Amino acid sequence: MLLPKFEYHEPSTLQDALNLLSELGGNAKVLAGGTDLLVRMKQKIDRPSHVISIARVPGLDAIIPRNGHGVTIGGAVSAGAISRHELLNDRFLPLALAAGRLGAPMIRNRATIGGNLVNARPAADLPPPCMVLNAEFKLKSASGEREVAAVEFFRGPGEADIEPNELLVSINVETPMPWTGGSYIKLGARKTLEISMVNVAALITLQSPDGVITDARIALGAVAPTPVRAYAAEELLIGEKPTDELFERAGMTGVGLCSPITDHRGTMEYRCMMIEVLVKRSLKQAVERAKSWKP
Amino acid sequence: MKTIIQMTVNGELVESAVEPNRTLLQFLREDLDLTGTKHGCGLGDCGACTVILDGKPVNSCLVLAVQAHGREVLTIEGLAENGNLHPIQQAFVDKGAIQCGFCTPGMILSAKALLDENPKPSELEIRTAISGNLCRCTGYQKIVEAVQEAATVIDGTEVSS
Repeated sequence: MLLPKFEYHEPSTLQDALNLLSELGGNAKVLAGGTDLLVRMKQKIDRPSHVISIARVPGLDAIIPRNGHGVTIGGAVSAGAISRHELLNDRFLPLALAAGRLGAPMIRNRATIGGNLVNARPAADLPPPCMVLNAEFKLKSASGEREVAAVEFFRGPGEADIEPNELLVSINVETPMPWTGGSYIKLGARKTLEISMVNVAALITLQSPDGVITDARIALGAVAPTPVRAYAAEELLIGEKPTDELFERAGMTGVGLCSPITDHRGTMEYRCMMIEVLVKRSLKQAVERAKSWKP
Repeated sequence: MKTIIQMTVNGELVESAVEPNRTLLQFLREDLDLTGTKHGCGLGDCGACTVILDGKPVNSCLVLAVQAHGREVLTIEGLAENGNLHPIQQAFVDKGAIQCGFCTPGMILSAKALLDENPKPSELEIRTAISGNLCRCTGYQKIVEAVQEAATVIDGTEVSS
């Protein structure tokens, strides 16, 4: 499969990259890992006349802890780097788990978090964990910058709140409270190189190891035109003692918040059944991890 | 417009002028005649084009040649030393882990990247490491055994030397 012709730009500073984006805007595509863009160009779905590689822009591939308060993840950090990162596995587990389930090892070494988010595919792996972690996305353009909450970012299949002249430079996440545990479960027909039939990220905060749930966040992917937070299911959990029966009710509530479709990966009916099961299972895992939280 | 690129391929510095829409895979196979790296699906699904880029296995069909400028590439041709097969290659031969051979270069490079980082992998770690390399002869079991064998051999060599 051949790539169509394009003009290639390889800016070595962020400012140069942003200037190029504002100049070329709609005629340009940002090349990060290339695992989506180059495929779409080979398939002639995307035909940009300009391609702007951000691989040599310094700093975009860094994971920077902020004094225990949180972490800043550069837009061009690879899924592999996220899945292997100690702090992310320790405090931001849903994101590390999801990054470790994206594609296959070779894809993870190239695919970036920024690319996975900006492409806004309904079944993508990284949006649900970003949503439960209340991540903020920093978008920069030549003329300014703004932050968008993960829960506000996704607009529809392939559509996100980002302008052609903007670049997703970083993902900022606050460190969850003590006694927080997280999980990510991806359901597909196989274990690797798979696009989710349903995926679920959950984050649970307990008052104490055997206390009530003080915060609960659940996000689901591949169940609606965008990934969704299951707010009604979350509300059900807050203030309650974690029990299997409670998680079952949260699962049933979760189904009602989704509008899955039938496609070659699975039927609407099967997806609904699995939403219930996976919400329950992900909450159970998150609570177990919250109980064994270590300072 | 062609760009001049330089990279280290199998330990040797190469320089060439390439079009930006040339993939690393095309560059290796067609410009450098290193045809050990295979062209399978071209879309990052099959792993036949796996090479090691700066220590990490990648699908060379989804990397532009210009993106490899200044970087280090290892292909299957770079494994044998002084006419002796690399222990992973030898283990693939000994264990009958090669049938048609099309997935073999990619499988071996994925295995090499794994063993470089994790000299004593579990069976699950081996299966995960090669999970992006498809074998249509479905000889996975023997491939896993070959990687286990190679790990033992490499480990033994390092202890004795």
